Amino acid sequence: MATKYLGERIKRKEDPRLIQGRGHYVDDLKLGGMAHLAFARSPHAHARIKSIDAGAAVATPGVLAVYTGEELKGQVGFVPCAAGLEGLKIPDHPCLATGTVHYLGEPVAAVVATSRYGARDAAEKIEVDYEPLPAVLDMEKALVKGSPRVHEHLTDNTAFVAKLEAGDWNAVRQDASLKVIKQRLINQRLAPASMETRGVVASYSPGEDTLTVWSSTQIPHILKTQLAIMSKLDEARCRVITPEVGGGFGSKLNVYGEEGVACFASRKLGRPVKWIEGRRENMLATIHGRDQINDLEIYAKPDGKVAGFRCRILASMGAYHQLLTPAIPTLTALMILGAYDIKNVFVETVGVFTNEMSTDAYRGAGRPEATYIIERAMDLVAFELKMDPVEVRRKNFPSSGKDISMATGVVYDTANYEKPLKKALRLAGYNRLRKEQERLRKKGKYLGIGVSTYVEICAMGPSSRMPGGGWESGTVRVEPTGKVTVLSGTSPHGQGEETTFAQIVAEQLGVSFDDVTVYHGDTSVVPMGIGTFGSRTTAVGGSAIYYASERIKKKMAKFAAARLGVKPGELLFRDGKIETSDGAKSVPFGSIVVDAYSAKTLPAGVEPGLFEQFVFEPPNYTYPFGAHIAVVEIDEETGEVRLRDYFAVDDCGRILNPLLVDGQIHGGLAQGIGQALWEEHVYDESGQLLTGTFMDYALPKAGCFPWFHTANTETRTPVNPLGVKGVGEAGTIGSTPAVVNAVVDALRPLGVRHVDMPLKPEKIWKLMKGNAGDGGR
Amino acid sequence: MKIEGVYKLAAVRERVFERLLDPESLAKAMPGCDSFEERGDGAYTARIKVGVGPIKGTYEARVEILDRVPPEHYRMTVEGKGSGGFVKGDGAVHLSPEGDGTLLKYSGEVQVGGLIASVGQRMMQTAAKQIVNQFFQAFVKLT
Amino acid sequence: MISESFEYHVPKTIEEALGMIGEFGDESKVLAGGHSLLPMMKLRLASPKHLIDIGRIGALRYIRESEGQLELGALTTHFEIESSSLLKSKCPLLPETAREIGDVQVCNRGTLGGSLVHADPAADWPAAMLAVEAEMVARGPHGERKIRARDFFVDLMATALQSDELLTAIRVSPLPARTGDAYLKLHHPASGFAVVGVAVRLTLAESGSIGEARVGVTGVGAKPYRAEETERLLAGKSPTAKRLEEAAAHAADGVDANSDLYASGDYRKHLAAVYARRAIQRAAERAAGR
Ligand SMILES: Cc1cc2nc3c(=O)[nH]c(=O)nc-3n(C[C@H](O)[C@H](O)[C@H](O)COP(=O)(O)OP(=O)(O)OC[C@H]3O[C@@H](n4cnc5c(N)ncnc54)[C@H](O)[C@@H]3O)c2cc1C
Repeated sequence: MATKYLGERIKRKEDPRLIQGRGHYVDDLKLGGMAHLAFARSPHAHARIKSIDAGAAVATPGVLAVYTGEELKGQVGFVPCAAGLEGLKIPDHPCLATGTVHYLGEPVAAVVATSRYGARDAAEKIEVDYEPLPAVLDMEKALVKGSPRVHEHLTDNTAFVAKLEAGDWNAVRQDASLKVIKQRLINQRLAPASMETRGVVASYSPGEDTLTVWSSTQIPHILKTQLAIMSKLDEARCRVITPEVGGGFGSKLNVYGEEGVACFASRKLGRPVKWIEGRRENMLATIHGRDQINDLEIYAKPDGKVAGFRCRILASMGAYHQLLTPAIPTLTALMILGAYDIKNVFVETVGVFTNEMSTDAYRGAGRPEATYIIERAMDLVAFELKMDPVEVRRKNFPSSGKDISMATGVVYDTANYEKPLKKALRLAGYNRLRKEQERLRKKGKYLGIGVSTYVEICAMGPSSRMPGGGWESGTVRVEPTGKVTVLSGTSPHGQGEETTFAQIVAEQLGVSFDDVTVYHGDTSVVPMGIGTFGSRTTAVGGSAIYYASERIKKKMAKFAAARLGVKPGELLFRDGKIETSDGAKSVPFGSIVVDAYSAKTLPAGVEPGLFEQFVFEPPNYTYPFGAHIAVVEIDEETGEVRLRDYFAVDDCGRILNPLLVDGQIHGGLAQGIGQALWEEHVYDESGQLLTGTFMDYALPKAGCFPWFHTANTETRTPVNPLGVKGVGEAGTIGSTPAVVNAVVDALRPLGVRHVDMPLKPEKIWKLMKGNAGDGGR
Repeated sequence: MKIEGVYKLAAVRERVFERLLDPESLAKAMPGCDSFEERGDGAYTARIKVGVGPIKGTYEARVEILDRVPPEHYRMTVEGKGSGGFVKGDGAVHLSPEGDGTLLKYSGEVQVGGLIASVGQRMMQTAAKQIVNQFFQAFVKLT
Repeated sequence: MISESFEYHVPKTIEEALGMIGEFGDESKVLAGGHSLLPMMKLRLASPKHLIDIGRIGALRYIRESEGQLELGALTTHFEIESSSLLKSKCPLLPETAREIGDVQVCNRGTLGGSLVHADPAADWPAAMLAVEAEMVARGPHGERKIRARDFFVDLMATALQSDELLTAIRVSPLPARTGDAYLKLHHPASGFAVVGVAVRLTLAESGSIGEARVGVTGVGAKPYRAEETERLLAGKSPTAKRLEEAAAHAADGVDANSDLYASGDYRKHLAAVYARRAIQRAAERAAGR
């Protein structure tokens, strides 16, 4: 039997260095003459800058330069937004504010100094005289005529309006048998809060006229192009390198003003410039996630089948668009039907400017919101019709199969929603739990069981639907010694694709896993790429590598066939040999490599060398699905929620490495449950962020959770050759509604049908006391 | 953030009212007050070192007295700016006779911005109360 | 998150430290474990010009028993308290409280003295100190003085310790016979501090009724306090569930309760009553078993 790598629980190649603290992050970089950058930021959400006095900062020893927005004008381009939506308003987004600040923490001036401490000290000395302007915080008030405007030159605070409509709404409206259920859901603002904050080193060489940028990013190639445009430099003279990246969760799928300033400063000063974001800056000025208000209208038949679904989405953009800000809520609309066959749908999405930090992709990016909406909706139907939530879901599942067309216009690659649901119910002992619940209710105790049967959109994606394309590149190079180098255009930052990609190539080429080395994240080493986000790295990037390996195999087979006197098609690659399927004839892998590079006897029409590239264009997204069950207990005196158990059965297609899938699910669950129970970014009515540190922003810790029971079903996708769908975001997407559903389920005897997140004990205590209305806010 | 409170003072209303607008008394009562000057027209400027425990900041504040109805009522606005951010307040003071003394009621809105607001949320309310209390306790002694 | 610059001093003895405090006065801050002070400095909320690191004064770090009293040096870390077998047997409330504090890093660095002097309104130690009627030993230029726990906490982040004094030790009496104690808290999900925390030391009389109960409450008000009305209602009563509940209901009487994003004042007062009842119950059960 040939050595198998795919599907095996193989330990991660990246872990020894990461666990031992031997990884290199941006902040580990020390270059000769390196200067340090620090920013002075706005203490107001909205204010006119009357004057900036940088005198004391300039006079501080060690300060090399102080820049303001005025100096950058015409020198550095605007922070880019790639989202293309009809009628989208894109306000100019300078790297440093000019004239007016639009959100708390907006960079107003930059200091470059010889030491990091000196830069910080000098930044504190910059005196800015502000004239506060009325701040826009409440999305609904923002849309009222005559509201103060975030951008005075725009007519109003609406960034865009998008509508999605399908079905026969006249028929729905006329059907008197339908129960209409309305509910407002608030999807609160979150902090992505990666462990490593943002960081960048820009190093301009005046001699070569080249700019090298080390950035903690998820998208080195896109960043290279955008920084070149912003810096008005030939792209060919720019290089972006991503060292180790300590998490991003979408927040580093972006191009930030601070990066533009670092490049500008390095060019001006002719020396490397480093900026490392502080945690407080990270909370204030790295993109936030979520922040939607959803108004639902569900039209349900008496048997639980949902005939129509309407939703109005108000999505806070923040003050400016970052790279994909407006695109995020459009994903919510696209996935709003979840795993349910609902023929009539209407979604209106309104992007709203507010005087807050921009929202953008945060783990799940638009789909957690969609899943929360539809999964809460299913429970609302169950509540109103007094049905079991599992039954309601089953009533609405489409029949299993491939290419399921949804009313929203998307086509699900595969669907088999009953399979994980059944497994999860069994794993959790659902019927037993319901009996226990009944017993406890009689004693006045609150036990809640919450179900979520999610489907998400992954493996982003077909270029037709992705701004800037959705393909990915992969290069496989067999070195003359027979070792294999793999280059990927993706930019994994913790997910573990150095391992998965090596598994793919080792299995394809029949070489040892240890002989495969994966590189990514250097635009001068990897020809082209898009990056890591949207659970695409393995599904899209891995497929490119798979096909690049196929090309290598084809070529090597020609050499081997010539040697062995057989047809290339008959040959198999396994255990370091290329052999006929019966094993009768074989030749060592290494000797064919030598043949290819020495190029003495080239088969007809074959070029020397063994390095092949493939750019994979996915024909569709993938749509992973699964069933999660949360079990909660609520303290009947204090309202504290205890997550007693959590069961997650996820179908992410073929599993290449169960260890990595588990890792993604566990981390994802922590983030999704975090939103349900604890996390919340809060601006006060004047636009001050009240949750600027981890003393107030409740990021979950490992100790907050029970051991998660995870399992999988494997429904392979036909969308790519590996059959993998993506698993980076599933845990986050599926878990938030499961937990909220569980808590609301626990409170069902009180007639509670909804509670907004996070489920803080006081809200629940008030509901239990009966002095708070629906929603518990 | 809303703040409010009630104090009993031994002095009569007229005297309390007068003292409440007297820069010297105010400077004495205000915790950490370095200077307090009248700028005419009911406006004052002050330099105050305030904070709780080790968290102290120096603020330049501008205080304005409005809607004066001696000896019953006035409104006060405060705008302060300092290393910890900025503070804006708008409040009203009501005096009513009680026995031989005076009952002082105050209520107002305080808005805190910048550093303190985003890192001190959990103690803000309590700290604001403490600072106001310190002021009135000292003030009570003066009257 | 970079502090302003400061001068760093490392005294080797208490006397040397007191000398430095005297010399630098208001411009200085004592550094113990640094887990309260350093975050504030990094946020530039506090910017002392001189930092006097007492962390290497060995004479401030011990747990011992002398003259029937337990004495802890001010520099004793939360972890040292949690793992002390002497305290586990003689004053289990302290290890039980330590277990509820922060995470491993915090417990390894944070000190009892630092926590008490910092007087965070949500800190755990003050509740326990009140329940065991601890005595704080302070050293200043004019010598040593003792401060009772109930006199020590003055206001929000303010204690009876003078700015020229060092807290050197904490004295507590060991658990008497027929006495039980307990500490219970609601953890804030972000900081881990006590939204509300209640520490109880309760002694049962021979008759089985409550001899004395001391109830320390943290998190509710600007400063930690003894729930006196609760204590009064417990004294001399038999510890029935109803009695405990009635008494605990007064755990936040007259307190101007803190209110923040996570919990309103009303809710905190409610929590105080619930947690007080549970802690008293537990202490009573433990007392009965001793
Ligand atoms: C992440 C995190 C979580 C935490 N969670 C909790 C929690 O759940 N519960 C809890 O109670 N606490 C918690 N803490 C606080 C922690 O317990 C602190 O360590 C403790 O409050 C202060 O002790 P320290 O030794 O670190 O003091 P330092 O920070 O060094 O000093 C604190 C203050 O006390 C002064 N000081 C220190 N020692 C003396 C002395 N001997 N004499 C005079 N003055 C002195 C200092 O000048 C300073 O003003 C947490 C802290 C962190 C960082």
